[in-house]
Amino acid sequence: MKIVVAYKWTSDPEEATVGSDGHVDWSRARPGISTYDPVAIELARRLATENGAELIGVTVGGKGVGVPLATKAVLARGLDRVVVVEDDSLTHAGQAELAAAVAAAVRHIGDVDLVITGDSSVDVAAKMVPTVLAGELGWPALAEVTDVGGQPGALRVGRAVPGGAQVLEVSGPAVLAASADATTPHVPGMKDLLAAGKKPVEHVDLASLEVAPRRAVMTLTGRARPARKVRKQQILDTSDPAAAAAELVKALRAVGAL
Amino acid sequence: MDFELSDEQELVRSTVREFAEAELAPVAGEVDHDHRFPEEVVPKMAGMNLMGMPYPEEYGGAATDYLSYMIALEEVSRGCATTATIMTAHTTLGTFPIYKFGSDALKHKYMYDMASGRRLGAFALTEPGAGTDAAAGSCTAILKGDHYVLNGSKIFITNAPYAEIYIVFAKTDPDADGTHGMSAFVVERGTAGFSVGEREHKMGIRGSSTPPLYFTNCSVPAENLIGHEGMGFKIAMSTLDGGRIGIGAQALGIAQSALDAAVAYAKERVQFGKPIAANQAIQWMLADMSTEIDAARLLVYRAASNMDHGRPYSTEGAMAKLFASETASRVAGKAIQIHGGYGYTESYPVERHYRDAKITEIYEGTSEVQRMVIARAALR
Repeated sequence: MKIVVAYKWTSDPEEATVGSDGHVDWSRARPGISTYDPVAIELARRLATENGAELIGVTVGGKGVGVPLATKAVLARGLDRVVVVEDDSLTHAGQAELAAAVAAAVRHIGDVDLVITGDSSVDVAAKMVPTVLAGELGWPALAEVTDVGGQPGALRVGRAVPGGAQVLEVSGPAVLAASADATTPHVPGMKDLLAAGKKPVEHVDLASLEVAPRRAVMTLTGRARPARKVRKQQILDTSDPAAAAAELVKALRAVGAL
Repeated sequence: MDFELSDEQELVRSTVREFAEAELAPVAGEVDHDHRFPEEVVPKMAGMNLMGMPYPEEYGGAATDYLSYMIALEEVSRGCATTATIMTAHTTLGTFPIYKFGSDALKHKYMYDMASGRRLGAFALTEPGAGTDAAAGSCTAILKGDHYVLNGSKIFITNAPYAEIYIVFAKTDPDADGTHGMSAFVVERGTAGFSVGEREHKMGIRGSSTPPLYFTNCSVPAENLIGHEGMGFKIAMSTLDGGRIGIGAQALGIAQSALDAAVAYAKERVQFGKPIAANQAIQWMLADMSTEIDAARLLVYRAASNMDHGRPYSTEGAMAKLFASETASRVAGKAIQIHGGYGYTESYPVERHYRDAKITEIYEGTSEVQRMVIARAALR
């Protein structure tokens, strides 16, 4: 059995700073595995252990996604090997392009039984890649996956749905997007970290994969911030709490808040 | 000169930080408030190979370099200083003597359990009348047939109630001069004549248990002697040489946690219509704190790197511990000042950091001892 985990190596927007002019400074944001991907890796790792399956990481993106620190970080979490598609043209790629590149990498690996992804990436959070990826592969896609077990051809998938949960039996290859809180990721031990550097990393040239050409290019041409509300800076005298409460209610009613 | 950490060292930092933020920081306040030894954490740390990092894999360790071990200790301390005390007392003090000086038989018998973290270790050197003057100890170990009989007591022994393996220093030649005559033994919990007393109630690292030990005609097999008779002082000092770098790392973690808390508070606390972080007085305090922590970090990492590369590290380790520990106390004090009245309450962690920091100036060699070591090197 072959299980692929599609992960992203990217910077966390919470570590970026925004200047007063709206400029985003990413210089202090350290890249890492996208926040929810370790959950996907953990679900995949457990299934791989249950089945004796090979666990393969796939990542695509611009320069830097395949640096040794990145591949070691993800291999330390229990993957057997990693396939990296690193190309400048993917630096500002949209979701469809990234999904197409991941699909091509999955076909390159061959005989993959299952692809698991994180809920969404920490930097874009579009939640589109798993579905587009499934479309590229011609496989079903399931989101909000909380658990996966069973064997190839008879996978048992638990997922959260509004108001409850579902359990599905999946008979063929599929793309599963792990729910962000599906499980607590296993934190690698020190031996795992040291062993990661010895695991195989395959760098695949994007040009060698059969990826469909870009259909549309989106370029950000403008942005605007919402108008800032002028704060009233109204300070109530609270020496008489009852009077202050009455004045607060009056002020809130005056602005339509109550 | 390359100041960059290797990929593996960066991963150690990020991984241990992830663990510390998830498992240690959330209970650190409660551990301190209740004077509770965090028993549930030790197996988790063992599971991550954090309890024997620098020892070879054949002995159950993770075979990391010493710098990686220091980075891990710093991150553990940043989450919980008590847990860092448990970790370093076990990994360095409790395990190193057996690894470095023990016979093959002793290593075979104890190293795997200790380096894997299955059994906790403790280091029993200090006595009521022998602190900095370690050679003044009065605990004796007299050879009788194929056993040594120990009599005496030890105080302030970290991990004691939970440890199973103790490195105990005792005089095999009570009449010998100065530092001679002291030997080191492995004593197992449950040995007849060996008991653990009531723990101390301390100012800081309150979850770390430090009771006295009592030896009354305690019979220990002769093969549990580490090295040979008379080597005890050398074993103790050699162990503390590496251990003091670890205390520097612990102090770093405390200082960094205090700084992080102060920065967060300064950004949120609004007085006179603006965050106090906008005030130059606060900014200058934060600048000094950041600079001192960075300087301390470089000293600690250099000492650890020297150890890894076979370069001298005794003076460098003393500098690292001296500066990092005093930095931790200064930074924690300033962090309280930045928090104002709230900093003086248990609602914020900075008062705990202040109390935790102080011990780093004292144990495993006081700041005064470190100054002696450094001065001796300077005056050579």
